[in-house]
Amino acid sequence: MSEIQEQTQSPQMQVLELTRRNFIKVAWGALVVFLGGLGLSTLRFLFPNVVYEPSQKFNAGTARDYPLGVSLKWMREQRVWIVREDQGISAIWGRCTHLGCTPNWFEAEKRFRCPCHGSNFNPHGDVIAGPAPKPLWHCKIELAANGDLIIDKAVLENRPGFRDKAPYFVELKPS
Amino acid sequence: MSPTIKKLFVWGNVALVVLLVLSVIRDQSGEWKKYQKTYYQLEAKELETKLAATTDETEKESLKKQIRAKEHAGLEIKQFIVKDLGRIDRCVTCHVGMDPLFNPTLTNNFTEQPYKAHPGDFLKTHSPTKYGCTVCHQGQGLATTVKDAHGFVEAWEKPMLGHPFIQASCAKCHQNFESLPGAEVAADGRGLFVKNGCYGCHAVKGWGGVISEDLGEVADKPLARIDPAAFAANGLPRERWSAQSWITLHLTKDPMSFVPGDPEGHMSAPISPSGMPPFYLELKEDEAKAITTYLLSLTAEKESLPHKFFVDVPVKPEPAFKSATEHGKFVFQKFGCAGCHGVEAKAGRRNFNALGPNQTKMEDGREPTLPDTVGTFTRDELRAKIQNGVPSVSINKFKTDGPTPPLYMPSWKEKIKGQELEDLISYLLSIAKKTEEW
Amino acid sequence: MKDFKLPSPEEIKKIVTDSPIWRSVFRGGVWKDTPRDRAAHIIGNVWLHLHPVRTRLRGLRFIYSWGMGGISFWLFLLLTLSGVLLMFYYRPAVDLAYRDMKDLQFVVSYGWLWRNMHRWAAHAMVVTVILHMIRVFLTGSYKPPREFNWVLGVVLLTLTLFLSFTGYLLPWDQLALWAVTVGTNMAGATPLLGNEGPFSSLLGMRINNDVRFALLGGTAVGEATLIRFYVLHCVFVPFVVGAMLMLHFWRVRKDSFSAAPYSANEEKVEVWPNLIVREYLAAALTTVAILVWAFMVNAPLEGAANPTVTPNPSKAPWYFLGLQELLVYFDPWIAGVLLPNLIIVGLCAIPYIDNNPKGVGYYAYKERPFAWTMFLLGVTMWFVLIAIGTWFRGPSWAWYWPWESMLTHKPLPPRTWNVPNLLGGPALLAYFAGGLALPRLLKKDLDWKVVIPAVALFSVAVAIAVKIAHAVFISNLPPLAQMLPHLDPASLKYGFVSTLLGIGDGMPHFGIGSFVLVSIFVFLLSFFGVLMPQRYIRNMELLRYVAAMLLVLLTLGVLMKMGARLGFNIKYVFSIPQVNFNI
Repeated sequence: MSEIQEQTQSPQMQVLELTRRNFIKVAWGALVVFLGGLGLSTLRFLFPNVVYEPSQKFNAGTARDYPLGVSLKWMREQRVWIVREDQGISAIWGRCTHLGCTPNWFEAEKRFRCPCHGSNFNPHGDVIAGPAPKPLWHCKIELAANGDLIIDKAVLENRPGFRDKAPYFVELKPS
Repeated sequence: MSPTIKKLFVWGNVALVVLLVLSVIRDQSGEWKKYQKTYYQLEAKELETKLAATTDETEKESLKKQIRAKEHAGLEIKQFIVKDLGRIDRCVTCHVGMDPLFNPTLTNNFTEQPYKAHPGDFLKTHSPTKYGCTVCHQGQGLATTVKDAHGFVEAWEKPMLGHPFIQASCAKCHQNFESLPGAEVAADGRGLFVKNGCYGCHAVKGWGGVISEDLGEVADKPLARIDPAAFAANGLPRERWSAQSWITLHLTKDPMSFVPGDPEGHMSAPISPSGMPPFYLELKEDEAKAITTYLLSLTAEKESLPHKFFVDVPVKPEPAFKSATEHGKFVFQKFGCAGCHGVEAKAGRRNFNALGPNQTKMEDGREPTLPDTVGTFTRDELRAKIQNGVPSVSINKFKTDGPTPPLYMPSWKEKIKGQELEDLISYLLSIAKKTEEW
Repeated sequence: MKDFKLPSPEEIKKIVTDSPIWRSVFRGGVWKDTPRDRAAHIIGNVWLHLHPVRTRLRGLRFIYSWGMGGISFWLFLLLTLSGVLLMFYYRPAVDLAYRDMKDLQFVVSYGWLWRNMHRWAAHAMVVTVILHMIRVFLTGSYKPPREFNWVLGVVLLTLTLFLSFTGYLLPWDQLALWAVTVGTNMAGATPLLGNEGPFSSLLGMRINNDVRFALLGGTAVGEATLIRFYVLHCVFVPFVVGAMLMLHFWRVRKDSFSAAPYSANEEKVEVWPNLIVREYLAAALTTVAILVWAFMVNAPLEGAANPTVTPNPSKAPWYFLGLQELLVYFDPWIAGVLLPNLIIVGLCAIPYIDNNPKGVGYYAYKERPFAWTMFLLGVTMWFVLIAIGTWFRGPSWAWYWPWESMLTHKPLPPRTWNVPNLLGGPALLAYFAGGLALPRLLKKDLDWKVVIPAVALFSVAVAIAVKIAHAVFISNLPPLAQMLPHLDPASLKYGFVSTLLGIGDGMPHFGIGSFVLVSIFVFLLSFFGVLMPQRYIRNMELLRYVAAMLLVLLTLGVLMKMGARLGFNIKYVFSIPQVNFNI
């Protein structure tokens, strides 16, 4: 009877079948699979699916209200500088590209200076001194229909050329 | 066992005991205990005077009992947990006279701090159980030593507000502070802020000029963003470094002296010093204090106050004016033109390195004195100038390779329009020294 | 009742110690001061039975062992006790943590004492653990069969630093927030696994799914981070440390401590009381020291954590300031990930590279000059970096001499420049290839009395050569550019020349300071990188030699890069910005 059973089984079935010969091996294998699965699911457990942080998009108010220069209006709430020049407006994320501290804007020197390791940035975000490896990040910025600025900190760009154009730059000539 | 080992064993254990005793002494001898005990003793002394004066037996018994209770009163840390304001204030641990639970009348005959009762009726209308203490007085409510609780320490940036600056706290909740008894200094401060044209350069929460910083949260300015050299150069000790001192410096000293910029261009391109004119030459000491008081009420705390603490006030409509010139004068003040052009446009204020008449150095640069200049414009030219402004790069420099003047005429096109604009022009033309006849 | 009299103290003692209750708890009856009972103290007591009954006298001496291992363990116990007590009042939530710290300081009886003790014991433990490592190295107590225990020790050192790091966040003040922000951002710079490291795009790493995200529980240090670090600091890492300590002590015991026998009839003494009393003294005097420190100096607590305001300067705790200073010279993935890992791996590799059998169980510089010199060089560099970060760096991380007030304004930092890849790449290759080959090429023993002055002269000669090159190529740039007016910098043909002309865009004036700097650094490189290995390890088998030389060259490479940055404002020697690979 068992011979007939064996002949009708496919090779894979023979491997997966629990015989007295492979019993211990299967048992150990099961343990390994269990431990591996436990490890992986624990690792997944450590990556949160929900973060307790405020939304990345915000309305920065009327575009034309911003004066030429760097505005600190949204630094406290959103950690973003609004930079207005003759050509238009951009929004720079206030996080140093070195290790994430918040640089300070020095009006008298017309540069951002990071207190942690001394990185200096010009008003475009380019690194002019210090260990920061990359320029500051520009946030996505749009002009809403009512003239308000909508800034999205989740979409970022810092390469010269790319960051001076839409959607990281809003053209707005002074009237 | 070697003698060294024996010696170390003995002295080591002795040291442990000694340190234990010292720890107990230090821990149990909190500063506050002394003050609280003294308060009860003062109360006991008063009762003893009463005891000596009375003859009634039952009263004598009751007084004796009270005196005994005072002399054996347990010492404890007292606090108010003000959940709505997110504060825990332990001030009454030392200031027992101000605790309604221990001094229900909230009055006493003591004259020295911390024993004396709270002045005025404030605690009757603002019970500490509902408000705590620090929401008005600032300071560090969680602390139980004098220096830390009063907040004049390094890690605490909102030290206690003395008189009259404490009135700033009134203005946090009382939007009607300008007509509130007890908040007169803050009200004066706001009036002076308007009169001197501060709005012209300094917006408050977006309303006002854009030439300098928005002062809407100036009371919260962190020390990390203030150059400590400014404090040190003005002889302020470390515990006095605060946003309050920073504001006061701007009103009692020449801002150019502690925000010097780099006009000679030693480090890189020349940068002008602070553009803020020397208001200290025009302000009296109590006026400077009043403006500081008002500015100290501009804090982000307002936004997190529960609504039930708020005293709203309806927005006052603008008064009616008899003539265009009068309206124009009001508009001139409303938009802070006096900040650059002087109170009532009398004389242009300092603008570093701007080209002016009779100038010998960069510091003598001046904004235009309107009575002198306005007469050379036609109505249309004046309108265009106000609407378009004058960017700083267009301002003629005294020293051509010196720094760009820090002050400039912003464009008022979006803000001053229609009748306001016309009446403003009428007012300006009315104060002109000479008019050009076309 | 008339004959009743109070039993004497001895009689009371006998009644108690003969009772069944006493004998059930304390087996062995009344202790007498005999060798048998002294042995029984050790064998029969669970807390003490890890000790042997007798041990070599030489190993007991403080001068030999320094006691740092035991003191570190004692500090760990002190930290556990003080930590558990603090846990009764401290809550790891962002609205409560800072307030609870203030409560501990002001309203909890002895709260100030326990908090201060906890903080200072933590600092002390880092010091003692490092001193312990140094002592074990200097007495060769990592050589076979003790190699694995040394590795365990390195792991314990890392865990000690990690405990310190996680604990640092808990007060939730500005110091905590920003030190941990800087530290965890280094995790974001991990190659492959961090979203800002090299090759991050290969695995699709973004700010909300990389290894830093898992560590923080979010995209920034916040409430999730606080609870995670709390659990790591109070539960997980202490458990791991406990397990490792068990292994570590077991190994120490099994390998008969560190004073390896070197004479057959060396005197042995009884552990009870000789070792036990010394252990007690170490613990007691350490406790006294920590208590005194806790009394006299309050643990710092800055303003409440504020994510929008970064204090200036923001400094990590002293034991990480070395790394923070390194961040000035290297990209975060190198200074924050690669180098620390290399240091750990390098330390672990020491017992397997070192094939000198001498010097186990005693101090012997003469028998192990290479080992002592290179190890102490590394340790010195580590502490020099810490010293720079502590006393020479002020606001905006500008350079301040220790006697200068931190209030003085410093000129803006000079512009940095990059060595063109065409020069930098080959230079790096030459450094490593040449550095590996050179010591082995010189096959005979050199007479240092002659060679060292020669090398000194050579260093000065190099400095002179650099001075000349600077004068010709950089100071005279305009004439050179004028000589080649048709030069188009964009064209490949002249790319090399134009990049040469572009060198030193930020190059400072080459004065006496630069001259001395070049001379000293060339000399250091020649001495530690060529002369020392040439004399002592050129005959090692190839694999060992390469491993040892790589570590030497990397250590010296860090030193050279520091000199390049401080002296010449060089930012990168070789750089591929597209994949974030910059050295």
